[in-house]
Amino acid sequence: MRQAGVYSGLLAGGISGRTGPHSLPLARIKKIMKRSGEGVKMISGEAPIVFSKACELFIEELTVRSWMATLHGKRRTLHKEDVAAAVVATDIFDFLVEMVKEAAADGRGTAQGGGARDLEA
Amino acid sequence: MADSLGASGSPGGGGSHESGGDQSPRSGGVREQDRYLPIANISRIMKKALPANGKIAKDAKETVQECVSEFISFITSEASDKCQREKRKTINGDDLLWAMATLGFEDYIDPLKVYLQKYREVMGDNKGSGKTGDGSARKDGVQAGNPSNEKCVFSCQGSFTQGMGYMHDQVRI
Repeated sequence: MRQAGVYSGLLAGGISGRTGPHSLPLARIKKIMKRSGEGVKMISGEAPIVFSKACELFIEELTVRSWMATLHGKRRTLHKEDVAAAVVATDIFDFLVEMVKEAAADGRGTAQGGGARDLEA
Repeated sequence: MADSLGASGSPGGGGSHESGGDQSPRSGGVREQDRYLPIANISRIMKKALPANGKIAKDAKETVQECVSEFISFITSEASDKCQREKRKTINGDDLLWAMATLGFEDYIDPLKVYLQKYREVMGDNKGSGKTGDGSARKDGVQAGNPSNEKCVFSCQGSFTQGMGYMHDQVRI
């Protein structure tokens, strides 16, 4: 009587990460959460669920903003320098600046940096 | 580790963005699958966000993959600090919503609340209202509030058929 399909679909899909409504694997999200600091001891069951959706939103936003840098460089392939440009141009992505600095520096040799830098200017 | 937690004690501060930053390089003995979400899933989400003619280089996928782990750590650290301040041991969904709002991701709150509400309806159906007690511990000033509690009780009282149908539509977004 309880439409088990819907219910178990939510859980099974979430845990395996392959099917069901959650597009990212919850167990993996939980592991990354636990690595975030010593203060992280217990995590409620719904926390990874929130992150599965939040990460999706985050990836979409980062991708769309990166794509703007790609277009600005008159290219059709999104490279990591475009991601770096998006991070630099977006306030809420400030926490990623250090990380993409490395990424952008690594990629200098691929001569894709030009488009990324344009957006900043 | 300890200093990264300390640093994120100043909410929203420019200097508080270091949390987890020391963990980002792909090195050390930790297995990659413990540190990152699967690149195939990330790639799929990225592709959805691009026009059909858009291509994504592997290096861009890997960078986004690293950024997502950083995002999770960044939000989790902030939420964890809040829990410690309030002497709670468990980080719940509302703590994460609060942390996201605090750190500039307000735009995510509404879609996440909807998503979380769907989840709670299902869990509430299964476990009764007991489960919501965990989420309802002190929500002072949390704009992420809990409209879900009444919603949950509502669905527990019987009209879950309607709730389920609703969920079925929405949750696969």
